[in-house]
Amino acid sequence: MAQTGSKRAVIDTARQRIGTVYAKALLGATEKAGQTDSVLAELDSLVADVLDKLPDFEEALRTPRIKPEDKVLMLDSVFGPKMSPLLLNFLKVVAQHERLDCVRGIERAARKLFNQLRKRVEVLVESAAPLSNQLQYTIAARLKATLGRDVVLTADVNPDLLGGLVVRVGDTVYDGSLAGKLKQMQAVTLEHTTATIRESIERFSLT
Amino acid sequence: MTKFNAAEIASVIQAEIEKYTDAIRVEEVGTVLEVGDGIARVYGLSNVMAGEMVQFPNGAIGLAFNLEEDSVGVTILGDYLEIQEGDEVKALGKLLSVPVGDAVIGRVVDPLGVPLDGKGPITSTESRPVEFTAPGVAGRQPVKEPLQTGIKAIDAMTPIGRGQRELIIGDRKTGKTTIAIDTIINQKTSGVKCFYVAIGQKDSSVRNTIKVLEDNGAMDYTTVVMSGASSPAPLQYVAAYAGTAMAEYFTYKGEHALIVYDDLSKQAVAYRQMSLLMRRPPGREAFPGDVFYCHSRLLERSAKLSNALGGGSLTSLPIIETLEGEVSAYIPTNVISITDGQIYLQPDLFFKGIRPAMNVGISVSRVGGSAQIKAMKDKQVAGGLRLALAAFRELEAFAQLGTDLDAATQSRLDRGYRMVELLKQPQYQPLEVVDQIIIIYAGNTGSLDEIPVARVREFETEFLQFVRDHKSALRTEILEKRELTAELKTALTDTINQFKATFQKKAK
Repeated sequence: MAQTGSKRAVIDTARQRIGTVYAKALLGATEKAGQTDSVLAELDSLVADVLDKLPDFEEALRTPRIKPEDKVLMLDSVFGPKMSPLLLNFLKVVAQHERLDCVRGIERAARKLFNQLRKRVEVLVESAAPLSNQLQYTIAARLKATLGRDVVLTADVNPDLLGGLVVRVGDTVYDGSLAGKLKQMQAVTLEHTTATIRESIERFSLT
Repeated sequence: MTKFNAAEIASVIQAEIEKYTDAIRVEEVGTVLEVGDGIARVYGLSNVMAGEMVQFPNGAIGLAFNLEEDSVGVTILGDYLEIQEGDEVKALGKLLSVPVGDAVIGRVVDPLGVPLDGKGPITSTESRPVEFTAPGVAGRQPVKEPLQTGIKAIDAMTPIGRGQRELIIGDRKTGKTTIAIDTIINQKTSGVKCFYVAIGQKDSSVRNTIKVLEDNGAMDYTTVVMSGASSPAPLQYVAAYAGTAMAEYFTYKGEHALIVYDDLSKQAVAYRQMSLLMRRPPGREAFPGDVFYCHSRLLERSAKLSNALGGGSLTSLPIIETLEGEVSAYIPTNVISITDGQIYLQPDLFFKGIRPAMNVGISVSRVGGSAQIKAMKDKQVAGGLRLALAAFRELEAFAQLGTDLDAATQSRLDRGYRMVELLKQPQYQPLEVVDQIIIIYAGNTGSLDEIPVARVREFETEFLQFVRDHKSALRTEILEKRELTAELKTALTDTINQFKATFQKKAK
């Protein structure tokens, strides 16, 4: 479960918005067929194992120079035997609408919608050193108790934190990291000390 | 030279560290999607409120300006060149506020209250939100006390009351700022706190203004809020509201304040820039639809508060610069309709030597007589002055046709020329209201008719000096009674005749 690298990549809001529309449709179809879990896992693996590893292939899917019909044929020949027919059909529809550039947006939106549907929250936990599975499990259990909802936990390693944890739930950040505390301490101390010095400027010796 | 004792500072820091309590910080964050031209689009910040302050990693403060479906438009009040895509933005959970109180008086600050005059930090414990709702109907009372500008033409014909909003409008180089500065200088003894908000002006001209204020001792009760032409548009936009917040502090304490917005056309341009960059739809002259509201909510904050709220007042003198006298452009018409009157300055009058170059015919004050003391309102002082001057201008135009004039008309013309001459006034020399009354009375009662037009101003200066030196009892009596009784009028006429005799003798 633990992965390194930033999970907070800057996203393209326009594609994300389009992705949300397609993701909604995809989820509707998979829910009806009762295959949501498997299809979403396949979609994740499409992004992580194919698009991330073969940028050229992603470029081929994105480029408008290849006609949609050719892209459909390409999808068929590449994924045909392995992919579930539902996802393959979905990708073909996306290809025909010339929206294959939004696949990443679709994947992200589908994850989010699926979690909402199952009443789960996505939580990103950052730590200075990798967390053991046992620890992750404990953190997830504690978060579940605090937030009152099922937690989908993603772990990330960020050595800049020095120690402690940073927990991100949606846009809210709970900063319990050592680096954050030092920074806060610096700010508070600086502010109060300057205020004290300013108040009692005459106490300091004049030479 | 101040030398700090290191051990003492260390002990202060140690005390701080010992007191420091550890708490997990909870923050609302977002990520910068794009940044440029003083604005940033931020993804996230899903619970941010409109107008809330946010902070960028470099310490720059931003304002949540546009809340969209999947991003937040933030205007950056500071250096935006260091901000990068992907930077984390923190919501601060509070509205933009500025330091207020006596600590800001006499200072030159930027729109966030940061000192620019090198006189050390502003140690104010109080602050006020920059955006503040104007007092409602029940919180106000009619404007009734005068705010003396010290300018004869204005105090006599378009009097300004405390709590009023009087627009100063005119082309470039017609003396708009001078009127405002004169008014500030004239508040030396009135106890009115003054705020001069410079928006989008050349730093050099603001520097000159500050120098004039310093030379005239006006900086002791004045704050200059400065956002020059090189400041980012969001700062120029916020400056007017920030200055108002600083002034309001005194208003709500029951004191009197005066604020000059120099000028609101530049503020509107800054707001237009922000709005266009935020992709708000443009309207007339490419201004956004809410540019009227931008000015109306600002100027509504000027008010005379009810006695229950302390009876304080905030008077504002917004300035609008027109192009080629075009008052029917968008922003001028907007601000004319919001304010309680306008002082209209014209370049042709200015170059004819009539300074202040006020066009008496179309300058009005909707508060009128209730903002004048009774002595000034007197029929023989300023009471009929506006109409008399209007009649004179009509006659003057007619007389240019070159026809022979009867004696009565000629004398009315002569009176008019002298009155116009009398209303001229050099800059930075505001006159006390009693002096204004005395000299206008002299002109209106015809005492100046035998004085050559070219010598009217000389007469004025010397006569006022004469009254100050020899008839100070008369001056005090007018000031105390605030009314010209029949006896006072006789005494005044006698004084005028007495001085006139010596003045004319000297001429010969």
